[in-house]
Amino acid sequence: MNMKHLATLAALTLALLSAPASAHLFHVGITDISFNARTGNTEIVHTYMAHDVEALLANLYGRQFDLTDPEDQDVLRKYVEGRFWVTGQAAGQDKSRLNLRWVGMTADAERVTVFQEIEQTPLWKAGAIHDNVLVDFLPSQVNTVNLNEGNAVRTLTFDRNNQEQPAR
Amino acid sequence: MPILRPLPCALAALFAAQLAASPACADDLVLQRVLVEGSRLSQLGIADSANAGSVGQKELAARTTYRPGEMLEAMPGLIVSQHSGEGKANQFYLRGFNLDHGTDLATWVDGMPVNQRSHAHGQGWTDVNFLIPELVGRLDYRKGPYSARDADFASAGNAEISYANRLTKDIASVTLGQDGFTRAMLAGSPELLGGTLLYALESLENEGPWTRPDDYRKRNGMLRYSRGYANNGWSVTAMAYRGKWNATDQIPLRAVADGTLGRFDAIDDTDGGNARRYSLSGIWRQTGMESASKLSAYVIRNQLDLYSNFTYFMNDPVNGDQFAQPDRRVTSGADATHTWHLHRSDTMASDLTVGARLQNDNIFNGLYDTRARQKIATTREDHIVETSGGMFIESATRWNEALRTVLGIRADRYRFDVASDLAANSGRANDTQVSPSFSLILAPFASTEFYLNYGHGFHSNDARGTVAAFDPKTLEALERAPGLVRSRGMELGLRTEAIPKMQTAVSLYRLDFDSELTYIGDAGMTEAGDASRRVGIEFSNYWRPLKWLSVDFDAAFARARSNNGDRIPGAVEGVGQLALTFDKLGPWSGALRMRYFGPRPLIEDNSVRSQASTTLNGRVGYKINKGLQLELEAFNLTNRRDSAIDYYYASQLAGELSPRDDIHFHPIEPRSLRVTLTKTW
Repeated sequence: MNMKHLATLAALTLALLSAPASAHLFHVGITDISFNARTGNTEIVHTYMAHDVEALLANLYGRQFDLTDPEDQDVLRKYVEGRFWVTGQAAGQDKSRLNLRWVGMTADAERVTVFQEIEQTPLWKAGAIHDNVLVDFLPSQVNTVNLNEGNAVRTLTFDRNNQEQPAR
Repeated sequence: MPILRPLPCALAALFAAQLAASPACADDLVLQRVLVEGSRLSQLGIADSANAGSVGQKELAARTTYRPGEMLEAMPGLIVSQHSGEGKANQFYLRGFNLDHGTDLATWVDGMPVNQRSHAHGQGWTDVNFLIPELVGRLDYRKGPYSARDADFASAGNAEISYANRLTKDIASVTLGQDGFTRAMLAGSPELLGGTLLYALESLENEGPWTRPDDYRKRNGMLRYSRGYANNGWSVTAMAYRGKWNATDQIPLRAVADGTLGRFDAIDDTDGGNARRYSLSGIWRQTGMESASKLSAYVIRNQLDLYSNFTYFMNDPVNGDQFAQPDRRVTSGADATHTWHLHRSDTMASDLTVGARLQNDNIFNGLYDTRARQKIATTREDHIVETSGGMFIESATRWNEALRTVLGIRADRYRFDVASDLAANSGRANDTQVSPSFSLILAPFASTEFYLNYGHGFHSNDARGTVAAFDPKTLEALERAPGLVRSRGMELGLRTEAIPKMQTAVSLYRLDFDSELTYIGDAGMTEAGDASRRVGIEFSNYWRPLKWLSVDFDAAFARARSNNGDRIPGAVEGVGQLALTFDKLGPWSGALRMRYFGPRPLIEDNSVRSQASTTLNGRVGYKINKGLQLELEAFNLTNRRDSAIDYYYASQLAGELSPRDDIHFHPIEPRSLRVTLTKTW
C-alpha cells in the first residue's frame, strides 16, 4: 500500500470516527480496481457493509436473503450489474460499456465482497466509471473507487450527486 | 475464488470501527446471521418480548399447508383449524383461547385489517382465504397486549403478513391433489414506467374428502404498482377474491357411533356459502436518518353469504335449523405513524413514535331462518356503522447495551350506530379506552435477553350487543354489553442464542379479560360473557445444526378459567409442533412436521373434554433444473382419525324426539397427497 492510498483511507476513517455522537450509521462502499499483468485482466473488488446489503435486499424484495445461496447471490448480482459499470475510453471512440464478468462473491457478518473482472483489458482502456450501488437506496451512501495503476492510486468518490466520473 | 489483491488493513479497521461504533437505528435492520448463514431472523436486540418473532419467506414456503390459513401456524402456539367448508374463515386457537374465527387475534395483510368487527357470524371474523402464499415476504407476530401500536383483537396475538413489492423471479405453478384438489397460479413483477408492477392470479378447486364434496372454487388475483424501496417509496394495490363452497359442518358423535352417519357425511347438504373480497390499498413510507414515516389507507368491500345448520332439527323439526348470516360491508381506514430517532450518546438512543388509526365499517348483516338456502323467516336485520379512532405514543429507549425500555400509551374511541329491524335493538353507543403498556428488556449477556412486559389491550364487542334490548329470537330482555372490553397482560420472558445455531425463547404470561366472548352454538354467533384469567407458559426452540438441516420445536400450555372458576369451553390447553426441515441436499429439499393440538374442555364443568389430535405432514421437493421444481406434499401421513374441532351442545336429528347433548365434531382430512410443478424464470 502506498502512502497516497493510506492517506485516503486514513482521512476517510478519521472523517467517520470524528463524526458527532449524534450521527447515525455511515454507509460506505469501497471498490479496488487494478490490472493483473499475469492474467491480462482488469480486476474489480467491491466491498460493502453487510448491514447495508441486507437492508437493500429486504427493502427491494420484502424478504430475507441468504447470500451463501447461489439463487440469492443472483439477485444481488442483478442489482450490482445494473448500477456499476465501466465504459470504454472516450479517446478510442468507444463509449460502450466494457464487459464485466461476474467472478463471484463472498459474504460474512461484516462485509459483502463482490469480484468482477474485465477480461483481457488493461485499466487504461477504461474511460468512465458509473457507480450508484446502494446510492439509490441510502441517501448518505459514499462509494470510494481506488484505481491502482502501477504504483499510483487514484481515488474517485461516488455519491448521490456524483454517479459517473471519468476514469482518467 | 481468485484473491485479486489483499484488502488494506485500514479497510478492515474502518468496517470494524463502523460496526462497533454505530448504534442501530430503528429503521435499519440489525445485522442478521440470516444473510450469511440462512438462519432464522434473530430477534435479539429487536423484539420487545420473548414471544415476538418474524418468519421469512423461505421458512414459510418450507411448511406444508393444507389451506392458506395454516401459514399463520408459523406463529408458535397457534392452531388453525376448519369446522366447515373450505371457504369459511378458519377456527383459531392460541394462548388458552378458543379464538373462534379470529376474535382476539388481530390479523393484518399489507396494512389492511382482516378481522371483521360486528360480523354476522362471529366477532373479528378472519377470512384469510384470499392470501396468495407465493407473494408473502414475511410474517411478523407478537402475542399479548404489550404494544401501544396494537388495538382491537390483539390481546392474544397480532399477526402481520407482508406481501413483497417485487419477486426475484416470475412464477407459474400447477398443483394436482387427491380429493379433487387443483390449483394454478401465475405471478410476476415486470418493471413498468420506473416502478414495478406485481401481478398474481390464482385458481383453486377442492372437493375434499366429504361425502358431499365441498366443491370449493376460488378465484383470486392481485395487482400492485410500486415505486422505490419498501422503506422509501409507495405502492398501490388492488385485490379481488371470490370463493364458493358447500359445507360439511360438524356432526354429532352419537350418529357416527351408531352407524347412522359416516365420519365424512353431512346432515344438511345445503350448508355452504360464498364470499367476495375486493380491496384497494396504498402504502407510503419515507425513512431518513432522523425520522421515519408511514401512511397506509384502504377500502375493502367484503361480502359473505353463509348457510349453517349446527342443531339440525332441534328448533324446527319440519324445516330444519339452517340459518343464513349474510354480511355485506365496506371497510375504510387509514393508519399513520411517525418515528423520530433520537441519538443521545454513543450507546443511548431513543425512538419516539406517534401514530393514529381511523377505521369505519358500513355493515349490512342479518340472521335468517332458511331451508335449503331459501329464507323462511327473519330473525334480525341490521345496518351498522361502526367508527373508531385511535392514537398512540411510544418511546423505545436503548439506555445502554444491557438495558432497553418501551413505554407506550394508546387511546381508542369507538362509536356504534345500529339501525335494527327491531326498533328496541337500534341505537347508538360510544366507548373509550386508554391502554398503557411497558416493556423492560435486560441484555446482560450478548446472546441472552430477559423481558418483562405489562400492558392493557381490548377487543370491541359486536355493535348489536352494545345497543340491544331484546334477544330477537326469544324476546328475552338483554343487558347491553360494553363497547370495549379491557384485557390486562403481564409476561416474563427469556430469549437466548447462547448455544450456537440455536434460538430459544420461553414466556410465562398471565392475561385477564374483563369479559370473555363466548360462542353460542345454536345462535351461530358470539356474545359477551364472564371475566376470565389465563396463565400459560410457552417454549419455542429453533436449531440449525447443519447448513441444510433445521429443527424447530414449539410447545405451549395454558390454564384458562372464568372468574367463577369454571372452565372456558374450547380453550386450548397444550399445543406443540416438531419439525425437521432440510434444504439444498443436492436437488432435494423437504420437511416433516408433527402438530399436536391438545385436549380442550368442551363444557364449563369440564365433564366433557375433546380428544387431542396429532397430525403429521410432510413434503419433498426435487429441483429438476434451475427454474423447475417438483414437490410432493402429504397431509395426515399417519391417517389419524382425529377431530379438527369438537363442540358440546344440544342438537336433534331427524327422527329424534328430543334434543340431546352431545359432542359434535368435524374430522381432520384423511391422508392425502398433492403434487406441484413450479416453474420460475
